[in-house]
Amino acid sequence: METNVSDKVKTWLGVASIPIMVWTAIPLLWILATSLKSTAALADSTQNILGNFWPKHMTLDNYRLIFTGGASDLFVPALWHSIVVCLVSTVISVILATFCAYAIARLDFPGKGVILTTALAVSFFPVIAMVTPLFNLWRQIGLFDTLPGLIIPYLALTLPLSIWTLSAFFQQIPWEMEQAAQVDGATSWQAFRKVIAPLAAPGVFTTAIIAFFTAWNDFVFSSNLTSENARTVPAALAYFTGASQFEQPTGAICAAAVIVTIPVVILVLLFQRRIVSGLTSGAVKG
Amino acid sequence: MTTDSAATGTTRTKARLSDRARGERALGWRLAGPAFVIMLLVTLYPIAYAVYLSLFNYRLTDPAGRKFVFLRNYLTALTDPLFWQTFTTTFIIVVVTLVFELVLGMAIAMVMNKVVWPRKTLRTIVLIPYSIITVVSGFAWLFAAQVSTGFFNHWLHVFTFGAWNLEYDWFGGRWSSLTIICLSEIWKTTPFMSLLLLAGLAQVDSSMEEAAKVDGATWWQRFYKVILPNMKAALMVAVLFRTLDAVRIYDNPYIMTGGANKTMTLSMLVANETINRVEIGMGSALAVILFIIVLIIAFIFVRGFKVDLTGGTRGR
Amino acid sequence: MHRGFRRRRTAVAAVGAVLAATALAACGSSDESSGPARLTWYINPDVGNADPTKGGQAQLAKECSDASGGKYTISVQLLPTSASDQRIQLLRRLAASESGMDLMSVDPAFVTEFAAAGYFAPVPTSMVDEFTADRVQSAIDASKYQGKLIAVPFWANTQLLWYKKSVAEKAGIDLGEPVTWDQLIAAARKTNTSIGVQSALYEGYSVWINALVAGAGGKIVENPDATYENIKLGLDSDAGREAAAIIAKVSSTGVGGPAMGTSQETQSLDLFTSPKGGFLVNWPYTYAAYTGDKSDVGAAIYPRTVEGKDSAPPFGGIEIAVGKYSKHVSLSYQAAACITDEQHQAAYMVASGNPASRKAAYDTDAVKKAFPGGIAALIRTSLDDAVPRPLSPYWGDISTALQQKFSPPGAVTEQTPAKAQQFILDVLKGKRLL
Repeated sequence: METNVSDKVKTWLGVASIPIMVWTAIPLLWILATSLKSTAALADSTQNILGNFWPKHMTLDNYRLIFTGGASDLFVPALWHSIVVCLVSTVISVILATFCAYAIARLDFPGKGVILTTALAVSFFPVIAMVTPLFNLWRQIGLFDTLPGLIIPYLALTLPLSIWTLSAFFQQIPWEMEQAAQVDGATSWQAFRKVIAPLAAPGVFTTAIIAFFTAWNDFVFSSNLTSENARTVPAALAYFTGASQFEQPTGAICAAAVIVTIPVVILVLLFQRRIVSGLTSGAVKG
Repeated sequence: MTTDSAATGTTRTKARLSDRARGERALGWRLAGPAFVIMLLVTLYPIAYAVYLSLFNYRLTDPAGRKFVFLRNYLTALTDPLFWQTFTTTFIIVVVTLVFELVLGMAIAMVMNKVVWPRKTLRTIVLIPYSIITVVSGFAWLFAAQVSTGFFNHWLHVFTFGAWNLEYDWFGGRWSSLTIICLSEIWKTTPFMSLLLLAGLAQVDSSMEEAAKVDGATWWQRFYKVILPNMKAALMVAVLFRTLDAVRIYDNPYIMTGGANKTMTLSMLVANETINRVEIGMGSALAVILFIIVLIIAFIFVRGFKVDLTGGTRGR
Repeated sequence: MHRGFRRRRTAVAAVGAVLAATALAACGSSDESSGPARLTWYINPDVGNADPTKGGQAQLAKECSDASGGKYTISVQLLPTSASDQRIQLLRRLAASESGMDLMSVDPAFVTEFAAAGYFAPVPTSMVDEFTADRVQSAIDASKYQGKLIAVPFWANTQLLWYKKSVAEKAGIDLGEPVTWDQLIAAARKTNTSIGVQSALYEGYSVWINALVAGAGGKIVENPDATYENIKLGLDSDAGREAAAIIAKVSSTGVGGPAMGTSQETQSLDLFTSPKGGFLVNWPYTYAAYTGDKSDVGAAIYPRTVEGKDSAPPFGGIEIAVGKYSKHVSLSYQAAACITDEQHQAAYMVASGNPASRKAAYDTDAVKKAFPGGIAALIRTSLDDAVPRPLSPYWGDISTALQQKFSPPGAVTEQTPAKAQQFILDVLKGKRLL
């Protein structure tokens, strides 16, 4: 596609991409900058440069506060909760969705459309509407403020998405190759392992990343169905306190935000192409 | 399992086919069933319970005072100015963010579609806001606009050669608050929009565009007459996805204003009734109303604009 | 064609994963063992937050654990900064009948609501005397529900008028005498300085409104014990309109600062600290937290709403309550007794800047040194006059409705009190949303 683009257009497009990247990057840099500011610099614009943007003197105090200081009791457990809850719910929903999507892509059975439509409807369900019924049930059966009490509603977020995305992925797999391999004498397990698994794995993996992002992003469930024993990072951010009652937690929030952003940025950097294809294949199909 | 029969024979009779079809049918549901059932359990149950609770006047701190009121909560909610205010606020946010996201998303998609350098960097950077936690984005924009910590006022002060008030309180009024909320939303979700549109753009047959070019069509004519109509499906899906997402907006306004200055959205109203006021009955009624609004929007899109969401996954 | 696909086994594994996760969490929550009882104390943010070396509640928890002789150890859980968030956090856990709610630092504004819902374990009758001895009356009143003590007065807060001596001098205002809000606004305008107030959409705004109404001799709730159907409000009155007029004036003259509509305690303190700061109504911790030149800072009794009538300084503070579902009710009350003993009261007041509920603390040298220049005595005087917010189980709703109708401060008019009153009544009767 690139070949029929003239040099002039190339340059022009390159120039046009600069404001896009700047617009995208500024809030990210801003979070980083704020996380490096001292308490004094946060309240006093003369201690910062570039129009109160970047601190003159960078400090890691805020990172110390969230990892070893006063905010560590809130942040470190929340980080673990986030990791555990998001990984478990991602694994469960991707496993379940893999079977489901395999069936949808490969088998002919009535109700395929119902499953896909339900998945779509569920993914549009306003999560806030689930909070009260779940809270009321959870407090009665003892799931309030527990990790499973968060994993279960997270399935409602990740499962429809996984089914949807994986179905689209599996449609594109040339399943005939499995049969061809079997004709060539491979056992079906070999055919699956050597032919189908390598073809399906990228889709499953991509779906897992997207499901993970979705769970990682949740604020509504976590802020309402947990207290300190299962609270995840997004909810913890909203309840941050400074080193004392007199200090705004601005710096600590930004430091924590940087920490939780690093893993997703790494995932994006590593798997950019796959994530793009996963996001778009779930929604738009040719 | 029962499907071994299919592999044993090569001659296909009608009876065997239907055998095989029956086997597939059973296997299909066996594989897809668990996911389907769990999906229903974790969502249908709360919906049903919310509908039930919505018929009561029920305050969590006063369980003895629980009273069956039938549809009165719905009546109160739908005739309350606050409900309509949050409704309006929500739809202002939906429309504003959607328009900006469509225009910006389209522009970014078109750049991404043709750009040679920095192709990969651009695609990666654009993807990052999508993957950022919404709450983080909310805090970033909150701190950026706050009088004490922010840089907005300082930058605007410089760009307007000192005309902008350094102490302008963005969160002091409804429209300025909504501006920042929308900015955060737009920043966070435009990448997703542009990726959906990019996928649509990739489907546009470039030879048609070339042909139009040869015929002397201007860039705008080509965009309007060739590109847009050919990616209409992708466009509508993107609009539907974003609309339904934006109707549920909660995180950004919660973090930034907490609903002050008439910036409360429908989701925040539900949360406020159920969580702050512990008026579970009324909150559930509002939750059901919000769900119905989402259903209506989806219905309008699917029926009115003929958005085909499942088409591509069938019949291969 | 699907032979060999280990679907069944994998499906079993998936279900297993859910069960394992459930079992894992179940294991994590059982911590019953021998040795000292483990008490959890939900503390509101203070000078040390979770740090047990800064003299805050975390340090009291540590000292009392050490002093218990192995009977109990108290671990602290930090609640969010805003009182409304603290309430939600506590309420959610209490509603879930959590057994880990041993000790709670509760804002007096919500003590009544929680007590009415039956969330607190009753105070042992044998300890009532100990918990009420030597306490300022306003703190005892705020710890009672239906005439019975249901929480332990911990610290008793009241707002003072803080000012920069240099600014007051320049304005020519004598703060040795009680001043009115009008005089204060005039002084701030004359010197182009600000008056720090709390008028964001949060509980602190209700504190201000209540103080203004009470200062004019009014009451927001006439009969706080009444059920929601019979409640009577006194907002639509001359007192209510006086209060509204002052808020409108602070806003319209600009002395409330550029971000008055989002100003909470910390922001108002920041405003006071900034070069534009002149005056501030805030809790006594201001003095300890003030980072500028302390010798320039003076304190006076809360400003009057109307000329010639004593002001009604806000009452605040924290009561310690014991959760009904706590497994260690008796030990928790013993811990509360240790936390609020005379020595800890004075030490906490010195370190945190939060005034003690025990009168004796104010006579100690340490307190006099921490609040020099007669500020300690001023706090005690102010506590005598202090007026709590209405002790109604519905205060949460009343307060939110009140804040909403009075927000933003710039839109407050003469009609606001009447509108707010009607709105609050409608909300309580379920006719309006909130």
